[in-house]
Amino acid sequence: MMKKMEPFRIEQQEIGNSYELKLIGELDLSVVPQVQGALEHVLRREDLALVLDLGGLTYIDSTGIGIIVSILKTRDSLNAPFFVRNIPPAIKRLFDMTGLTGHLKEGTEAEA
Amino acid sequence: MRPVRLQIPAEAGFIDVVRICLTGVAAKRGFAYEDIEDMKVAVSEACSNAVLHGGREAGGEAIDITFEQTDEGLTVRIVNYGLSFDHAAALQEASPIKGESKGDLRVGGLGIYLMEALMDEVRMSSEEGKTEVVLTKYLGV
Repeated sequence: MMKKMEPFRIEQQEIGNSYELKLIGELDLSVVPQVQGALEHVLRREDLALVLDLGGLTYIDSTGIGIIVSILKTRDSLNAPFFVRNIPPAIKRLFDMTGLTGHLKEGTEAEA
Repeated sequence: MRPVRLQIPAEAGFIDVVRICLTGVAAKRGFAYEDIEDMKVAVSEACSNAVLHGGREAGGEAIDITFEQTDEGLTVRIVNYGLSFDHAAALQEASPIKGESKGDLRVGGLGIYLMEALMDEVRMSSEEGKTEVVLTKYLGV
């Protein structure tokens, strides 16, 4: 009944003028340092569109939502593009509930 | 029904174990998948707070989690030790994301807000050296 639990991991790739971080597994308090480490060198890159692909995410809580909010704020202050893509329905529901949805730009390949 | 008890080290890396245990107990009690997902988030929020406020630096070593199956549903108690915590203020600050523009978004109080949104009852109490969060979900509500 339960799916095999994969350890949280991040796949990163630069495609053209966008940089994509794909989050896979469960995003909770324990992986905050891992996410912040992955973001460090791209968060302030104004020449790239930052894309967060959540398609492989099986769990998120307020810690993860907090990280997304801090990315939003930093990218906004730099006037740099930031897109979120492939939000699973259960996670979308939490984004709606917390008021995050209205602040997100959902990106497609073409837009990003 | 007798309670199921779990003790984890007060470290973030063990919160996933609480989610796995919760999934088992809640499925056994007959909760639907969506309700279990909601409870996972709420219980994790309480555990994150317990780690942040009752971890090693605060003098806490462990977090005790008790799953009580009741006639109405499931009650989960999360207890941490260490510094006491102003739960009344925390409950008052529970809120979704605040701020009009992206520049002034604030996430304070989001964890407790989610607990309240996802559970039917949220109670907190704090005394010297011990903080308890009690989360209840009813079946079929």
